[in-house]
Amino acid sequence: MEKIMNNDLVLEPSSPLKKLKSLLKQCYAFFYGNPPAIIGGLLLSIVLAGALFAPALATHNPEKRVARPHVAPNAEHIMGSTRSGRDVYSQVLHGGRKSLSVAISAGVIAMTLAVLVGVSSGYFGGKIDERLNFLTNVFLVFPQLPLLIVLAAFLGQVGSLVITILLGVTSWPWGARVIRAQTMAIRSKEFIISAEVMGESKWRIILVEILPNLVSIVFGGFLGAVLYAMGAEAGLGILGLGDATEVSWGSMLYWAQTSSALYTGAWWEMMVPAIALAITGGALALINMSIDQVSNPKLRTGPHMKLWRQLKKQADIRRGLR
Amino acid sequence: MSNLLEINNLCVDYVSPNGVARAVNNVSLSIAPGETLGIAGESGCGKSTLAFAISRLHKAPALISEGEIIYNGQDVLKMNNKQLRDFRWNDVSVVFQSAMNSLNPVITIGEQLTDVIMAHKKVSQKQADERAIELLNIVGIHGDRLGSFPHQLSGGMRQRVVIAIALALEPKLIIMDEPTTALDVVVEREILNELYDLKTKFGFSILFISHDLSLMGEIADRIGVMYAGNLIELGEAKEVFGKPQHPYTKGLIASFPTIHGPKERLYGIPGNPVNLLEIPQGCNFQARCGRCQDSCHQFEPSLKLTQKGHQVSCHLVEEVAAC
Amino acid sequence: MSFILRRFGFYFTAFLIAISFNFMLPRLMPGDPVEALFAAAQGRMDPAQMDAVREMYGFLDGNIFEQYLAYMKSVFTLDLGPSVLMFPVGVADVIAMALPWTMFLALGSLIVALIIGVSIGTYASYHRNGFFGQVVPPVLAFISNFPYIVTALLLFYVFGLKLDLLPLAYTYDPSLDPGFNWEFISSVAKHAVLPVGSMVLVGIATWVFNMRNAMINVLGEDYVTMAEAKGLSDMRVMSRYAGRNAILPVATAIAMAIGFSFAGSIMTEVVFNYQGLGNILLKGIVARDYPLIQAILLILVTAVLTANFIADLLYVWLDPRISN
Repeated sequence: MEKIMNNDLVLEPSSPLKKLKSLLKQCYAFFYGNPPAIIGGLLLSIVLAGALFAPALATHNPEKRVARPHVAPNAEHIMGSTRSGRDVYSQVLHGGRKSLSVAISAGVIAMTLAVLVGVSSGYFGGKIDERLNFLTNVFLVFPQLPLLIVLAAFLGQVGSLVITILLGVTSWPWGARVIRAQTMAIRSKEFIISAEVMGESKWRIILVEILPNLVSIVFGGFLGAVLYAMGAEAGLGILGLGDATEVSWGSMLYWAQTSSALYTGAWWEMMVPAIALAITGGALALINMSIDQVSNPKLRTGPHMKLWRQLKKQADIRRGLR
Repeated sequence: MSNLLEINNLCVDYVSPNGVARAVNNVSLSIAPGETLGIAGESGCGKSTLAFAISRLHKAPALISEGEIIYNGQDVLKMNNKQLRDFRWNDVSVVFQSAMNSLNPVITIGEQLTDVIMAHKKVSQKQADERAIELLNIVGIHGDRLGSFPHQLSGGMRQRVVIAIALALEPKLIIMDEPTTALDVVVEREILNELYDLKTKFGFSILFISHDLSLMGEIADRIGVMYAGNLIELGEAKEVFGKPQHPYTKGLIASFPTIHGPKERLYGIPGNPVNLLEIPQGCNFQARCGRCQDSCHQFEPSLKLTQKGHQVSCHLVEEVAAC
Repeated sequence: MSFILRRFGFYFTAFLIAISFNFMLPRLMPGDPVEALFAAAQGRMDPAQMDAVREMYGFLDGNIFEQYLAYMKSVFTLDLGPSVLMFPVGVADVIAMALPWTMFLALGSLIVALIIGVSIGTYASYHRNGFFGQVVPPVLAFISNFPYIVTALLLFYVFGLKLDLLPLAYTYDPSLDPGFNWEFISSVAKHAVLPVGSMVLVGIATWVFNMRNAMINVLGEDYVTMAEAKGLSDMRVMSRYAGRNAILPVATAIAMAIGFSFAGSIMTEVVFNYQGLGNILLKGIVARDYPLIQAILLILVTAVLTANFIADLLYVWLDPRISN
């Protein structure tokens, strides 16, 4: 029935310039008429800009005592001050820098591992697949946060670099599993088989034919990994397992917790980093959700549905049904 | 003898992000009781769309925008939900292309037989089970299989199950959408023979959709040919097959190799199917037809009677007064 | 059947890996592991008890394999040693008190989130183009992806502190004694609202999306069209044909969600001072009670593995194609 409206992605190689143009076109199409994507994109840009330009935007040195403890938000300290008299606004900007760089780096590590494991598993199959898949499943089945907590506990207070590596090394399985499935699906498509028969080297096939078609799920997985890493950093931070001397959203929560900020009425010390985390997490999720919708055309609903409703109404009126 | 089903000026549109495509354009035809009407055409010509419209199975973004479908004096398109539910399967049942895909994989075939029986008739579960076993026997499957799941049956058996379900309420019309395309030739032959026996026994009409014109030539009473949403030829099977009038039908028949006679060169039909979002002015077939004249580029042709019962939609054909 | 056996084998292997990990942990730390372990004991344990712990850990003379076997033995006999933090209460007893609450929180919120999420997801798939399909999913996606800790903190602050609607800490009113009476049960329920609520908020989106996407895929299948062509009632088409099939991908997602749920429960317990394993874990970390920490990890892992296995069994029951 739907043969006429075949919106299947046509997976075929094309020139680099054409690819770039089509990428830009896809980006535009992605945002057009898609409020969640636009809102997510906007929020995320604000957060990233804040983190990136933290030195320029911050009003005070986040690590110095610049005010009396627990001052409520006012003109000079727009988000108030912490128990130790530090400016919360400057802290949240610099903290964002730290937390986001940890999260993004962890995401990069995780996705690199995921791609390596997933593509090898999916493309080479056989024994390699068996072993890698088993490894992936084992990692997946362990509850990761408790594992991280215990590791961190045994290693003592660790710096953010160690946290980044830990997070990256424990969150690759989710992506690996999806990438493996997708690689296997692509691998059985005819253009791969014909490339192999023509004698193209395996590496070339992987790089040129398979990877470009994985871009959207890899990117989606990357956003998911960043989201998870950010939350995990915050969680570890508030438990005191991160480096409490560096300014990050997690350590901000930790100091707020130890100073009983909520109970003493200095809600801003706790809520500002919490809301920063919330907004960033939510924005990432909206974008991720939109990517999912784009890759599965069935999930997409567009302006043409409105037209359909209009036409249906007209047809019903003609038939005397309304 | 009055017709079982009459389709008048049916139009079905698809609303897509790129525009509105007309998948079925102003098609009119009728089906008599007990006849086998075949509709042939290439993929995307609208034949399945036409067939599904009869039971109103289309969902957004498809839309039946114009026309009527008269069954037993009633327009199906104007029925309310209750009437439609009664009509479905009781009067018209459908056999889909792939039996594997049309059977629910997680419930037994027995349940898929009894649920339609119990939805339409007031019978007990036991009575429904008995009837289900009867139906399975009719299509040559042992009643033991009532508790089997679809994946436990072979391809041919699944197709038989689907036919058994189609017969469950003894409908007057069975729509078959490429019922044997997914099967190998041997099984196809078996199923078609059984089908013929059943038809003789129960007396239902069949609307047979296929791209396989030669198959249709063997089993249909009348054949209709569709191209790009239009019904371009309609007539007795022998006439359409033996003396095709429309250039497209001629092309289709010519592209079938025959086992008999000397080796002949095969001619296909050049070009690609029309993009329904960009239909040309005039005849839809002009890009691939070798013999266009001026009127072909300007005006859409419509069905004209050329001889007894044979209708063709082409500017090149002379109309003959209806006898 | 072989599917079930293979899955069990997998989980058992994973369990062994967890034990091995646990075995390695104290030996990973710099310095003499045994001394470090007892640094926190601060003289509260007498030499005999310290020896008992040594034995449990397998810190005997003998090579590493003998130590490994000794440790395995103590795990399988549930000899988890004395707790340093809660001395003289044994680790096993500490865990026994806290484990039920964590199971209640993690699994209870999972089930609630699942039921509500699947319903919303199903509804959103029919009304794909209306308010429910267009607005609700993105809003839920946004809210659900606040990190666990953030949602817990927000609920804690807004409903607990500011509005003072619900209790903020503990699993039940500490002045009450546990028992099957209304007072106790209602206290448990009241104390559970915020923690469970916060976990449900975080967990709900995955079910909404999983179910919605699964339904949309299934609704496009031929067998659903055929069910409609058969003139079956909407109810039957939606439940027995569409829903029954859409639930399968959702069921596979349950396994992953279990791990997340237990992880999230740790954070939630910390914020609400809920007396579950997560809470004890944190206290153990602060007090450097290594036997306790390791035991909790082992128990958590075991709980997750078991829950996963049960989820697999559920899937076999749901999908007749698997058991062949």
